[in-house]
Amino acid sequence: MITNSIIEVNHVSFSYNGALVLSDVSLSIREKEFVAFIGPNGGGKTTLVKLLLGLLKPDCGTIKIMGQPPAKVVHRIGYVPQDVSINKSFPISVMDVVLMGRLQFHRWSRLSKKDRMAAKNALENLEMLEFQNRKIDELSGGQRERVFIARALATAPDILFLDEPTANIDSQGRTDLYALLKELNKTKTIFVVSHDTMVLSSYVTSVACVNKNVHYHDAAEITEEMLDMGYHCPVELIAHGIPHRILKTHGDD
Amino acid sequence: MIEALQFEFMRNAVIAGCFASLICGVIGSFVVINRLVFLAGGIAHAAFGGIGIAFFFGIPYMLGTLGFSLIAAMIMTAVVLNNKSRADTFIGILWAVGMAIGIILLDMTPGYNVNLMSFLFGSILAVPASDIWWMAGLSIFSIAAAVFFYRDLLAISYDDEFARLRGVPVNLIYFLFIGLVAVSIVIIIRVVGLILVIALLTIPPYIAEKYSRSLAQMMVLSTLLAIVFNLSGLWLAYTYDLTSGATIILVAAAAFFISMIFDGLFLKKRALLP
Repeated sequence: MITNSIIEVNHVSFSYNGALVLSDVSLSIREKEFVAFIGPNGGGKTTLVKLLLGLLKPDCGTIKIMGQPPAKVVHRIGYVPQDVSINKSFPISVMDVVLMGRLQFHRWSRLSKKDRMAAKNALENLEMLEFQNRKIDELSGGQRERVFIARALATAPDILFLDEPTANIDSQGRTDLYALLKELNKTKTIFVVSHDTMVLSSYVTSVACVNKNVHYHDAAEITEEMLDMGYHCPVELIAHGIPHRILKTHGDD
Repeated sequence: MIEALQFEFMRNAVIAGCFASLICGVIGSFVVINRLVFLAGGIAHAAFGGIGIAFFFGIPYMLGTLGFSLIAAMIMTAVVLNNKSRADTFIGILWAVGMAIGIILLDMTPGYNVNLMSFLFGSILAVPASDIWWMAGLSIFSIAAAVFFYRDLLAISYDDEFARLRGVPVNLIYFLFIGLVAVSIVIIIRVVGLILVIALLTIPPYIAEKYSRSLAQMMVLSTLLAIVFNLSGLWLAYTYDLTSGATIILVAAAAFFISMIFDGLFLKKRALLP
């Protein structure tokens, strides 16, 4: 193996209100992968992302990101949450949303010129700088998505998580978004929770099917047929016993 | 109104009204965007218990009310953070318990002769100079805290998960914020009374929210609105010899309905455009 694994998940289980959501999940992901989490609704995709972010604590098992617990390295992770339109009517400008990405609590001078520059750069990268003083609910779904990606990028992350980023945008917007992610993938490890397996096939380097258990497919082993099935019905993909390679708990040497 | 300013009580009333407006604009905006109006109402009514304690034990009004409100607010915050879905029931109970404690302690206070109405509906025209100092100090403190933690408060209000990812101690900031709400309520009770405090804390920010592109704009606009409501309500009360708390609220409520009608017409027009 040439590159080290950036994320190591060992025998992690998580239950919510007594219901087991994820069971004995082990996963090892290398740097600069473009990983797609696919699986049925309620299969635990978002839960897995939140565990990796350290927002949830596993019932058992360990999660290491860059060799450390998630809470220690969380400032190096960018996160674009699912359904960013929940708080749509909130009086907040585009700039203020992106500046959230520069927030650091343990600092007396709260926001510096450097922070504002970083936020501006992030907006410019996403071609959203002209909207910086707009109220967030004046934007379209695709524009809002870009703002939230800019917020995640403003943190200058090494790892980027996007939870269903294409849910609110049209097909042209999706194509643009994935082109952008491919560009970002040159320097960052990217995780996308998505149903868009069709788009995934051309950009993604590996796929993890999440349905209580996690089945990780390394890019090289994915056949078009598997992806096709994964897109239509990920549950069946797992249930029908098509051979999957479940990665060993530690990097294979 | 201008000639009325030669009276000290009138000058005090105007100063008190301006401090209350500043609080309404800054803290009220956070209350409204966080949908915490019910919790603010709970704190306001529980504060009555503090008024009872202040009179019964003979401690200064501001100290007793502030202490009790802060304790009630912290308990409510702990409940909200632990069990968001059932918090409303608990807030309702504390709301009633606080009032009951206040009434019973006032019953038991020997030689009690305070006008109860002045706490329920405010007594801005009777604010003594010593209370002005309390109000000034607490206003400056809460606004300084809100300005210093502006970004953190904005972040936990808008997207608390992301705030947590950025290392913001969300629960701590939440306690701080509700504490500020409690302080604000104690100040505003002096102006419009505890029954009407909710209207003054929420109407100006609610109107301002619709015309603001950012939280900072909302705060400035709602402060200005609150000053207008306070001063015109005060003028009405002075001119027609009415209860000032009620006139202030009715002016605010009138503005609220006018803004709703205005929005209705305006939005219809906009919807007609292709």
